[in-house]
Amino acid sequence: MSETSHDQAALEVVDLHKSFAEVEVIRGVSLQAHKGDVISILGASGSGKSTFLRCINLLEIPTAGEVFIAGEKIRMRNGKSGNYEPEDIHQVERLRARLGMVFQSFNLWSHMTVIENVIEAPVHVLKIPKAEAVEQGEALLKKVGIYDRKDYYPAQLSGGQQQRVAIARGLAMRPEVMLFDEPTSALDPELVGEVLKVMRDLAEEGRTMLVVTHEMSFARDVSSNVVFLHEGQIEEQGEPQQMFSNPNSDRFRQFLSRTMQ
Amino acid sequence: MGESVIQFLETWSPIDVVLIAQNFDRFLLGAWVTLQLTVISLIIGGALAVPLAIARTSKNPIINGPVWMFTYTFRGTPLLVQTYLIYYGLGQFEAVRESVLWGPVLSQAWWCALIAFSLNTAAYTAELLRGSIVNTSRGEVEAAKACGFSSWMRLKRIVLPSAFRRALPAYSNEVIFMLHGSVVASTITIQDLLGVGRWLNGRYYLAYEGFITAAVLYFIIVLMVSRGFRFWEKHWLQHLYPHDAVKVKPKKGLANFRI
Repeated sequence: MSETSHDQAALEVVDLHKSFAEVEVIRGVSLQAHKGDVISILGASGSGKSTFLRCINLLEIPTAGEVFIAGEKIRMRNGKSGNYEPEDIHQVERLRARLGMVFQSFNLWSHMTVIENVIEAPVHVLKIPKAEAVEQGEALLKKVGIYDRKDYYPAQLSGGQQQRVAIARGLAMRPEVMLFDEPTSALDPELVGEVLKVMRDLAEEGRTMLVVTHEMSFARDVSSNVVFLHEGQIEEQGEPQQMFSNPNSDRFRQFLSRTMQ
Repeated sequence: MGESVIQFLETWSPIDVVLIAQNFDRFLLGAWVTLQLTVISLIIGGALAVPLAIARTSKNPIINGPVWMFTYTFRGTPLLVQTYLIYYGLGQFEAVRESVLWGPVLSQAWWCALIAFSLNTAAYTAELLRGSIVNTSRGEVEAAKACGFSSWMRLKRIVLPSAFRRALPAYSNEVIFMLHGSVVASTITIQDLLGVGRWLNGRYYLAYEGFITAAVLYFIIVLMVSRGFRFWEKHWLQHLYPHDAVKVKPKKGLANFRI
């Protein structure tokens, strides 16, 4: 996928499956993200792209498959009831802290101010001294352009502002990989741009990012790789220029013609 | 001047103000007993309520079940009955009478009232908090998970701080109910605020003097409690108001005076 593929991948997913009750929504997806990769995950709604992202940090427990974060495998086992489950929840928590996650609905902690949201996990999970966390947090808030609102509460901000805070909160964990789960889907159209601009800047900095999105221009212009999911499987993947100008699969061609009108 | 006022009150006032004034120190003492019982049982009950509420949210029936029994028993029966059962009932058991707790605690009306009140408010507060905990935004909990918080840290840093805040307005009602419920103490010989009113009525056969004075003092305490809660809500719920709202000082005067 990347020119530095001989290096250890920042994130690797091997043959991931996920079923809800009888329905298999992810049917064997494998993916590698190397340092600096920006991978856009596209697909129609119901194609399993959000579920796939949520399986990576075990917000959903996969039914089968393996996840490696910076080479470390999340240890899974078959539990008493036969369910596939994490062997050691502490390992999961430790590895989750190495991934930053940005949600569609922001999910900022509503009783904390902006700066408190950004320093919360660094102080209480990474055990960074508070003064250092505040200094880092303020720098990140400046980076996402929301420093002047650092003492506001989430409900006092617009959606775009909240999402930028959520990005800063994710970055504050100094993550190996940032996961974005439809970060602009809940935003008013005029607020989408400010969030995309921040994400564009992160990509240019060389951050490793996995982005589930409906923003075709972001996928085409910013990402280094594009993965198109259809019914829980990878239908097509490759470099964006090639995929967008000359799609191989009919389904991706149809998807493009529906979404690029 | 002063004498003529007293003369007027003695002759014309519909209620015996002088008698009230003469016994006012008793009323204040009664109010002090009421406040003590209320505040201490709220503290004990509140401390019990937090672990009980967490246990109530457990999916494990062995943890959840007994707490459910406790809260439904104490919410399903009158406080008066609970107090009687502890004050009159416990003494029926020889084992209780012979225990070390009997002399200093369980034979004392004050302690029996305190135990009944604490358990009662614990039950109500536990259910209140349980509702608040269950209604914590799933997304906020998920965000904490994604940051690597352990389940204990999620509870401590995200769920409880958020649940306490959301429970605050409803809890102010529980505090006022507990204050009013504490009149039960007067039925087991305790000279609380209502107890003093009853005493005055029993001694002089003057119902208004005793009960109106008690009622007015209860009213004043409730007024202070609800003002206190409004102040706390301003502080702890400021994330729900517009950013500048907290900086605007409330206007002085009657126009802004609400309970």
